Amino acid sequence: MNKDRDQVLVDEAEALGWIESGMTIALGEPAPMAMVRQIVRAGLTDLTVIAGGLSIDLLIAAGCVSKTISYYAGGGFGVPVAPSFRRAAEAGEIEVWECEEGILTSGLEAAGKGLPYLPWRGGVGTSLPEINPDLKLIKDPVSGQQLIAVPAIKPDIAIVHAAQSDVYGNVQHHGGPGWIDLFLCRAAERTIVQVEKIVSNEAVRADPWATTLPGADAVVRLPWGAHPFYSRGYYVQDIEFVENYVTTADAAARGNRASLDAFIKQYCREPETHVDYLERIGIRRLLALPEYGSNERDLA
Amino acid sequence: MNVECSTRELMAAFIARDLNDGEHLQVGVALPVPEAAVRLAHIMHGPNMELVFLGARMNVHHLDHMPLPQYGWDCRVVRWTESFSDRGHRFDRVKDWGRRVFFIGGIQVDPFGNTNLIGIGEDFSKLRFRGPGSVGTPTLTTHVGRYYIVLNSHTARTFVNQCDYVSTVGWDKGGVDARKKLGLPGGGPKYCITPLAVMDFTEDEKRMRLKSVHPGV
Repeated sequence: MNKDRDQVLVDEAEALGWIESGMTIALGEPAPMAMVRQIVRAGLTDLTVIAGGLSIDLLIAAGCVSKTISYYAGGGFGVPVAPSFRRAAEAGEIEVWECEEGILTSGLEAAGKGLPYLPWRGGVGTSLPEINPDLKLIKDPVSGQQLIAVPAIKPDIAIVHAAQSDVYGNVQHHGGPGWIDLFLCRAAERTIVQVEKIVSNEAVRADPWATTLPGADAVVRLPWGAHPFYSRGYYVQDIEFVENYVTTADAAARGNRASLDAFIKQYCREPETHVDYLERIGIRRLLALPEYGSNERDLA
Repeated sequence: MNVECSTRELMAAFIARDLNDGEHLQVGVALPVPEAAVRLAHIMHGPNMELVFLGARMNVHHLDHMPLPQYGWDCRVVRWTESFSDRGHRFDRVKDWGRRVFFIGGIQVDPFGNTNLIGIGEDFSKLRFRGPGSVGTPTLTTHVGRYYIVLNSHTARTFVNQCDYVSTVGWDKGGVDARKKLGLPGGGPKYCITPLAVMDFTEDEKRMRLKSVHPGV
């Protein structure tokens, strides 16, 4: 009996259905913002989030997060620290599993390799093992050196943004996988990849070396899905939009939540689908974000 | 010769003169003075320097100017990039970081060059000021040949006797062998540069001391 090969192409609602309150989710770089907005819209709560930058800030602002596994929550655009992260951490509303990039990637590698931990040197002598008791100072049995045993970090779901995939989950990042996506996907139980476009299986086989992530569990076609952040080969960061978010979140952190609530309602809760979101942003704004060919934005 | 310059230009020029041809210079986000410094050194005396902005490794000695990326991760820096250290294995060559030079900021710095990007306050679960986090600075400062502490301000709030939390180890509790005792292979902090002055570390105790005050201070 012949049976067709299973496709992994799903729509955003089906992908969202995989994510439940209380899970540990990992967000790639650039952040998969279309799925992040769906998480906010669904009102998921009690998430543990592995991410850097402002995607984590939006999820905290929307009340989705109880714990962050974070190495960096910088604000950019005039604020040194991501405003909602800062406010929630100072109020004790979120638990922060303090780490840094080398420790995070070691923990993710341990998970991917099926190990209870991997040793790492960066962080020895710092406060990290004191403020994060999961990081154990150990004496290496081979050399006798003092190292940190980083426990396996196991996301339930990794969500990343890439350029393209075929319908079977052969994902190709534009020009390479970026710094953290593969660590997250190797460690996670399941991987959701949102892509700018779907290509034919023949196109993948024409350049299999370009496949960065074989075997994604779900692929969602979400063009412009990293907006307001960049997507390599497609568009640059929407600086004005991000600045507006940072200003709004900063005002909220200082006690005036009205404009932040309006922002979240306008861009996350009201648009039912990603297409609805893109209609709100508008074609003019989106088309004004090319990597090259727009003089004032070119690095030329 | 009397040349007018801004304080930040002066800081960048000081750092640039201390950088040697052939070195690998890594600059993270939100550090305009080190970014200017490595580019100045590269143009003036460093044709064999490698500049690493985030993961993008480049040699742009042949360019008479290069615009600044407008934000971290601006992917258009690919125009000048020869390779990315970031293709899913950022830290797989730390053994070779002896000739790499790095730059860090900090919200607190103690007399032995230990620094804090984590936060301020006794109770970690409810910090009075929550900092941005360590990024990759603990790993980088553990391994690089030397690094510079570059600060935007020079105040008693920044220079403390003891950091509330230590995110990078400079000379720990002091002494030439302080880093060796912890097993940290990198060379540690060389200078601390602020808008007012340059500090180095004493030879024996590795305690911060005033090296020079900027003109006009």
